[in-house]
Order: sequence, then C-alpha cells, then structure tokens
Amino acid sequence: MHILFARLDRALNRLYTWSGYAAAFFLVAIGVLVCANIISRLVSGYVPGLTQYSGYAMAASSFFGLAYTFHHNEHIRVEVLLSHLRGQARWFAELWCLVAASVVSAYLAWYLYRLVYYSWLFQEHSEGADATLLWIPQTATVLGALVLVVCVVHRLVRVAVTGSVGKGAGGDG
Amino acid sequence: MDELTLTVVFLAVLLFFLASGIWVAMSLIGVAAVGMLLFTSRPVGDAMATTIWGSSSSWTLTALPLFVWMGEILFRTRLSQDLFRGLAPVLRRLPGGLLHVNIAGCAVFAAISGSSAATVATVGKMSIPELRKRNYPEGMITGTLAGAGTLGLLIPPSIILIIYGVTVNESIAKLFIAGVFPGIMLALLFMGYVVVWGLIRRRRGLEAESLEEIGTVKQVLLLVPVVLLIVAVMSSIYTGIATATEAAVLGVVGALVLSALQGSLNRESFMASLLGATRTSAMIAFILAGSAFLSLAMGFTGLPRGLAEWIAGLDLSPWMLIVALTIFYIILGCFLDGISAVVLTMAVIEPLIRVAGFDMIWFGIFLVVVVEMAQITPPIGFNLFVLQGMTGHDMGFIARSALPMFLILIVGVMLLSFFPGIATYLPEAMARR
Repeated sequence: MHILFARLDRALNRLYTWSGYAAAFFLVAIGVLVCANIISRLVSGYVPGLTQYSGYAMAASSFFGLAYTFHHNEHIRVEVLLSHLRGQARWFAELWCLVAASVVSAYLAWYLYRLVYYSWLFQEHSEGADATLLWIPQTATVLGALVLVVCVVHRLVRVAVTGSVGKGAGGDG
Repeated sequence: MDELTLTVVFLAVLLFFLASGIWVAMSLIGVAAVGMLLFTSRPVGDAMATTIWGSSSSWTLTALPLFVWMGEILFRTRLSQDLFRGLAPVLRRLPGGLLHVNIAGCAVFAAISGSSAATVATVGKMSIPELRKRNYPEGMITGTLAGAGTLGLLIPPSIILIIYGVTVNESIAKLFIAGVFPGIMLALLFMGYVVVWGLIRRRRGLEAESLEEIGTVKQVLLLVPVVLLIVAVMSSIYTGIATATEAAVLGVVGALVLSALQGSLNRESFMASLLGATRTSAMIAFILAGSAFLSLAMGFTGLPRGLAEWIAGLDLSPWMLIVALTIFYIILGCFLDGISAVVLTMAVIEPLIRVAGFDMIWFGIFLVVVVEMAQITPPIGFNLFVLQGMTGHDMGFIARSALPMFLILIVGVMLLSFFPGIATYLPEAMARR
C-alpha cells in the first residue's frame, strides 16, 4: 500500500514537471510568434492573426505553468499570520488554505471546461483576423487548471495524512 | 440585507481570505465569486470563465514573460562581477566610495530586469563581500542595497508597470518611457545621500581605495555590451519601431547572445532561466486573471463608484488626495507585496483617479514609487527578505538601515508631485514624434 502511494506521488510530481515543460514551450512560442510578426512586417508581408496566436500561447503558458508553480511554492500568499502559528494551529490553518484553494481551483476548472464546451458546441470563432475556432486554444486553459486541481488536492491529502505542513518540490524540477 | 451590510461582508471576506494565507490569486477568484453571488443574480461561474479567458489571452500581456525571461538569462551570467569590476574604479573617488557601486549597479541591473528582488540579489552577490572586505559599515551596505534595489520596479523594463498598464489599459511603452527620468532621479538622490554621508565621515578615509586592488577605469568597458542592450531595447520602444512586446523579444535575443559570448550559456542555464521565467510569469498571470474577475465583481458591488463619490464629496484638493493615497499604499505595502497591492486596489482606485483628473501615466509612476517603499518596510518587504538571506542580519536591523532610503523615496514622491513633468515629459515628447 505504502509503495503504491509513493509511486503515485512520484508520478504526480512528474505530471507537474511536464506541465511546466509545456508552459515553457509556450513561452518560447510567444517569442517565436512575435519574431515572426516582426519579420513579416520587415518583408512587408502580412500574416493574419499572429498577435492573436501569441495571446493564445500566453494563456497556454500561464495555465500549464500553474501547477508547476504551485508545486514549487512560488505562488504568492500573505504569510504574516501563518508564520506566527505553531504546531496544530499551523496545521489547521494550512488545511483551511488548501481546502479553499482546492474548491477555488476546481470551480475554475469546471467553468473553464463549460466555456470550452459551449465554444465547441456553437463552433465559436475568434473575432480577430485569425478567426480561430476558440475551443482549440481554450482547451489548454482547462488542462492546465485540471493539473492545478490535482496538484492542490495532492498537497491537501499529503498535509492531512502526514500531519506536517509539508512544502512542495523544493529544489529539483 | 441592505447594500452597506453586503459591502461590509464582502470586504470582511476579502480580508479574511488574504490574511489567512490563501494564495493571492485564489483569494481574488474566491472573493470575486462571493461578491457576485451577494450582489447580482447573474451566472457567476460563466462570467468568471469568460473574463479570465479574455484577460489571460490578451496580447499586451505577452511582454511580461519575455521581459521576465530576459532578466532571468542575465541573472545567470557573469554580470554580477562585471558590474562591480566595471563600476568600482569609476566611482571610488566620490565621497562615500564604493557604496556608490551598490546604487549604480542596481540602476544598471534595473534597466535589464523588472524585479527588485533579482536586482538586490544580483548586485549584492558581488558587492556585499567586496564592501565588507573594505570595512564599510554594515548598515550602509545593506541600507543602500535595499533602497537602490527598489529601482528594479521603476526603471524599465518593469514588471509592475506592465501589470499596471494591463490593469488600467494604458500603453506599456509610454509607462516604460515615463519611468526613465524618475528612476534616474531616485538613483541620483540615493547617491547624493551617500555623498553627504561620505563627506561627514571623511576622516575615515573610505574614498581612498587603492587602484591596484580594484583595477583601472578601463574596466568600465566590461559594461559596454549590457549598456548597448539596454539602449537598443529602450530606443526601439521610444522611437516607436517596436512595441513593448517586440522590444522584449529583442531583449531576450540580446541577452542570449550576450550570455553566449560570455560563455555562461549552456543547456542547463538556458533551461533554468526558461523555467524560472515560466514560474514567475504563471504566478503573475494567475493574479492578473483573478484581478480581472475581481474587477468585474467590484463593478457589481458599487464599491468603486461609492468610494469615488464619497471622496469627491469630501472635496479634497488633489494634494490631499495624493497624500492620502501615499499613506494608504504605505500601510497596505506593509502587508501585501507590490504586485498584489496594485492589482487589488486598482479596481477601486482607478475610477477615483480618473474622476480626480490625474494623468494615468503619471499616476502609474507615482504608484510604483510608493510601492517601492513597500519593498523595504517590515513586516513584509521583499528586499528585506532577500537581504536577510544574503547578509544574515535580522529584519529589524535591515529595515532600520534602509530607513534613510525610505525617507528619500518620500522626497522622490514629493518631487514627482511638484514636478509631474519628470514623469510625463518623455512620453509626451514621444507622442509628438
């Protein structure tokens, strides 16, 4: 049983890391798209929708990065009160934060899913020059939000079970 | 429940979520959802998804990860040493001696990085041990570093100016250009303080640094590539050749070339810089997404309108308003980091500022200088945290030694208010081109 959990733990950590790699990929994609935009302007050609595409890459990079960033404890929080709590009080406070975070991120993921579903159902197109079917770039936000839900709940379970206010990844990616 | 009770409940929830330690972005989303439930019968979740998608896929936001990446790349080069070795021989003769390296180094690094913590860390890595070796007082070493590090927020590229620009829909290019003179002004004020300090303590002979030890003035050439990069990025924005995002790509490419030439670019440092930038920008983008939703919810609460009317009813002079806002942000800055403080308040403050007739570009610069103070006030001051880690001093000592810098920032805010042209001259000149 214990080994199973340890395996699951490792697999999930890999999931966050890969999500982070996907985010990094889209960050580079933003740079490449902006470069393409500059070059197309220099040779006075016009490629429609490049700016929209870089916006989509931005959304994808941000959302795929969410869980990875959470795992590395790099989302900002106010720690003035938390840092004054000790022992069980600290544990309860951390549980409260994680429960609230789980609820919020699940809520976010669910309604982002609905957004994608309706975009797909009505075959909505972007209003920009690209006229992209919106559900395609929007899917990235749902996937990213889902991994975040998994990551937050994972932390919640670990803090609840171990009883210690364990941090996430720490050093390695 | 009447509207007032609802407003009180709403604000109480906001404070409780933030103070209890829920991650800022998630607090904003949670509070906004509660606010919409209380004040409207509209479908909350769908409005949230649409708003968050809209703000997250905005093209103007793309400048953010790119400028963060540029800073991350240069952070991993030899720049820290080069800044010290290049600036020390030039500045050593000034009263106050090598302390000026802290300030000038921060100003230069601020021009390639948008974060004040990174600025402090990069400059301090080299200058703290070097200054200690030469027996400069600890208070002055940490104080000047903490203060000048805040320039990272103001001197473009500036993460917080991008966030402000995106939040209130103002041109990021204009905001960057507007930050140039105020940034230089603050750097000069900091250096002025060190000069005065140096003149008073003259007999300690701090300015007499031997040339053999720190090298010759020629070493300033080490800084040429970095300065060229800064000039290229800024002038491409100023002349209008490039948008802020395009200038950021130029910056990333330039930073990669520079670190390749120095031999510090390898697969490991490339990935570390990229993943570091990914995390920072995901963190900020999440907060911005939350704040976009909170702004929407705030609109339904009537709080911004109510506050704007109340303030208008008080018939404050613009001066009084600026003083009140300065005090408000200093207090807020004691508990919130700069980004959260800006994002959280702009939903309420923006209508107020527009009604009062302030120039939004000028206000952005004012806001950043005030937020700079927040970086060096306890109990939450990011520069204090960084310096605590680097010097081993406790928070109280660092905050005390940064106090003169805090006062100088107040002088900076006053100058900026008396002479708004310091901020607005360049963007106006840019618009006339």
